[in-house]
Amino acid sequence: MAGEKTIVCRCEEVTLETIVDTIEQYSCSSREVKLRTRAGMGYCGGRTCRNVIDRIVAATNGEPIKDELQLSYRSPIRPATFEVLGGGHENES
Amino acid sequence: MRMRVDHHPVLGKQTDRKQVTIFFNGKPYDAYEGDTIASAMMAQGVYALRQHEVSGNARGVYCNIGHCYECRVKVEDRKVVRACLTTVYHGMEIDSLSGFSEGNE
Amino acid sequence: MKVWNLLIVGAGPAGLNAAIAAAGEGLKVKIIDEFNRIGGRLLGQLHQEPNGEWWNGIDVANRLHEKAITLGVKIESGVSVYDLEQSEFGWKVYTSEGMEKTEKLLLATGATEVPTPIPGWTIPGVMSIGAAQVMGNVHRVKPGNTCVIIGANVLSIAIANELRLCGVEVKEIVISQPNSSLTHSGTPEKVMESLLQLTHLAPSVLLRQAGRVAKYIHPSLAVKFYPKNGMNILDIPIKIKTAATEIIGDKKVKGVKTVNIRSNGEIIPNTERITEADFVCIAGGLAPLPELAALTSCEFKFVHELGGHIPLHSERMETNEPNLFVAGNITGVESAKVAMAQGTVAGLTIASEIKGNKKHSDSAIEEALLTVRKEREEALIQFQPNIARARELIYQQFELDWKAESPKRSIS
Ligand code: FES
Repeated sequence: MAGEKTIVCRCEEVTLETIVDTIEQYSCSSREVKLRTRAGMGYCGGRTCRNVIDRIVAATNGEPIKDELQLSYRSPIRPATFEVLGGGHENES
Repeated sequence: MRMRVDHHPVLGKQTDRKQVTIFFNGKPYDAYEGDTIASAMMAQGVYALRQHEVSGNARGVYCNIGHCYECRVKVEDRKVVRACLTTVYHGMEIDSLSGFSEGNE
Repeated sequence: MKVWNLLIVGAGPAGLNAAIAAAGEGLKVKIIDEFNRIGGRLLGQLHQEPNGEWWNGIDVANRLHEKAITLGVKIESGVSVYDLEQSEFGWKVYTSEGMEKTEKLLLATGATEVPTPIPGWTIPGVMSIGAAQVMGNVHRVKPGNTCVIIGANVLSIAIANELRLCGVEVKEIVISQPNSSLTHSGTPEKVMESLLQLTHLAPSVLLRQAGRVAKYIHPSLAVKFYPKNGMNILDIPIKIKTAATEIIGDKKVKGVKTVNIRSNGEIIPNTERITEADFVCIAGGLAPLPELAALTSCEFKFVHELGGHIPLHSERMETNEPNLFVAGNITGVESAKVAMAQGTVAGLTIASEIKGNKKHSDSAIEEALLTVRKEREEALIQFQPNIARARELIYQQFELDWKAESPKRSIS
């Protein structure tokens, strides 16, 4: 199917092809795929594609999905403006 | 185009809301109090809210509840908000990100 | 600055009921939610119960909201959480409106939709099925006059009917590309299998009809005899032998390219066609949204039956992190009624820790736990089979990992 060029991570426009190639080349975990391809690293914090990437990694490596959250979250969870982080009120809602 | 569900067989009718005007990329649009920017624009048939910052591809509402950030727009030339979470008010000025200028189509 | 007894993130069914239970025990409670209305996923829900009555999520949400307010709960919408930090009194919670202090923190952040990526799914006018539901039922805006839904499952069939009530013509429900690591609903046979497992419990007469054909026969046979052009349920054609291969359009969606497939997912040559539509919905199912818990040292488990990664927790909704609790779909995807019942358990557990009136609270909590089990058993929408058993295993795991040798928690 025409799946290879499918965008998986909408924020960074990372395709299935790139993700699968990366997994195969480096036989890596979801976390490593994220760092290498930027999939799941965009504005939404991986919320939209995290579960899909876990599945792709599991299917490509032929192993079950791990218990640890492979796309480790780092605060801030929501992209925040400097004002918010500084305690001001000019917020990104 | 107007895509309001004024009458609903189960939820009843909703016709008593106050109308306001908002501006999207400089163009005026009708909206109702209580609308989000996303619902107001979709009711007018405007789907594209921004351009992808690298590819320039058009993007619009995807999750409608604040998870995906696809609906980011600039309000009052000042702050970036998620259109699906942000309530409209009369005279609100909304602009697309990445120099996107055409609201319709 | 005020320190709340309990801060709740998420004003959905679990968060609201937790607030009601905790405030009922005298706690000072605040709820925050990033949506601009109170009710979470309740707001979109609209389906008929087996007795013919409508489950109107907006009404339910309003009722809970009012009750919480009456009990003195402070509720703020349009507030996002950025970060969490343990502190000597409990938690510091950093939000878009500044910092909140609280003794106990309850995460009731619900679930997120899992997409089934397909070429063209970033085109404006392609949205998650939940997005269309909220547009129609909550904002009272039709995303368009015609639509195609990609993904055949209980949720998508239920929402297709809701869209129909909003005046949308749902042209067809097709399945997502088979044999791809992007989907896990898979072949028509797998789709049928999951529909069959679920439809006897599914909402309303409508969904039971979907299971009607094949309730008593094997899924593979059911697929074999499933009409190529789909089965109509209240005028909505459900085509599990048609798969979407691409969404077309540029600045605005134009339609969906599909092919016919065999029961095993094989494409039948020369069957490609395009169904035009104003908007397209992607229905890939739900997964718990655990990101805030992931900012703490909370232990996680991946549990397929519960929809994905969940914070490990006890039946009383405690996590291994002191003063951190979870309730609702963050603990596993289930119906709103289960989430509400879990919220009550969490609220009472937290009140019991703060008030220390163990005798009184233990019996109340036991009763609340019974309600959870009852709601689970009677749930109309069962998102996965074997939920109850998967839950049991999680509770046992929690006891093993965190109760056996570490008596640091005050209640058991
Ligand atoms: S549409 Fe996803 S954040 Fe607004």
